[in-house]
Amino acid sequence: MTDVQTAEVDPPWEGLTGAELHAACMHAARAGDRQAMDRLVAELTPLVWHVARANGLDRTVAEDVVQTVWLALFSQLDKLRDPKALAAWLITTTRREATHPYGRRTQPVPLSDEVAESMPSMNPAPEDEAVRADRDRRVWRAFVRLPDRCQELLRLTVLAGRAEYQLVADALRMPRGSVGPTRGRCLDQMRDLLASEGGSR
Amino acid sequence: MNDVVGAPGGKAFPDDEILLADIGRFLDELDPPPGDLVERVQFALALENLDVEVARWERLDSQAGVRGSGTGTITFTVSDLTVMINLTKIGKLHRIDGWLVPAGQYSVEVRVAEHGTTSTTADEGGRFVLDNVPRGTTQILVHLGDVSCRRTVVTPTVVL
Repeated sequence: MTDVQTAEVDPPWEGLTGAELHAACMHAARAGDRQAMDRLVAELTPLVWHVARANGLDRTVAEDVVQTVWLALFSQLDKLRDPKALAAWLITTTRREATHPYGRRTQPVPLSDEVAESMPSMNPAPEDEAVRADRDRRVWRAFVRLPDRCQELLRLTVLAGRAEYQLVADALRMPRGSVGPTRGRCLDQMRDLLASEGGSR
Repeated sequence: MNDVVGAPGGKAFPDDEILLADIGRFLDELDPPPGDLVERVQFALALENLDVEVARWERLDSQAGVRGSGTGTITFTVSDLTVMINLTKIGKLHRIDGWLVPAGQYSVEVRVAEHGTTSTTADEGGRFVLDNVPRGTTQILVHLGDVSCRRTVVTPTVVL
């Protein structure tokens, strides 16, 4: 009986969440269990993605970086003994890849405006919706004009507030849902950008 | 319309909570990872040996539309190797004309999800041709170096 045939047997991480799930998957992945690797990838790709996006990569380059980071993790999984270090490792490695010479920023500024521009068509809608889309567009523009450091901190703050990303909170020593002084300053800056943007009233 | 700034009383508005809630919504609605990204990563992880270098897709503005359109020239680079491929759509298949710089008689493989692997060897000018490649989630591998120092460069998994 190979693993392939035993689909009716639940994998050892079944029913686990958060740190326990990651620990069980990392343990199985070290033994070469592809299913465990796939599970970690499915769980944590959004984290890697948002760190890549926060570090100035456009969506297409971010896709490549996400693949690079996962391959790097699984090719040296033995070096990462402590499952609690997983989030920190993913965040640091993604940052490093994003600032790598090959992680060149193809279109530094307008990339995210592009996302904003596409919003109305994503929400074709009556007037209330249009008002909301307009507000969203302005808030999003303010967000993407923040320095990378702030964007990353705010993206991670939001993720850390979600149960499935408790590991991010742990990695950043961030009590869930809290807004520390640096985050507060980033949000202040975002409000300034919103206020200074034409037509914000 | 003072829902964004200029709330009375000089209190910061929108407040932290509102902004974080907005950002949270944006992460899911405006800037989520592409829907097939997890699947593509999983395909890349099915490589036999994961000790590989992932090349970057060099996108020029004029090529912005190439991704997924099934035809055109694509360039991938890693520190010391450039892989250029030209795709020609022939019915439901692709012909891939490739060029490695610097040139070398390296072994080249193309993996397509659910279709296995096709391989060839580049000629001394670094050129290679892969015929009848099924379309789909694709990755190209280049095996460099000799027995003493073997390395594998892979392209990101892309949908061609």
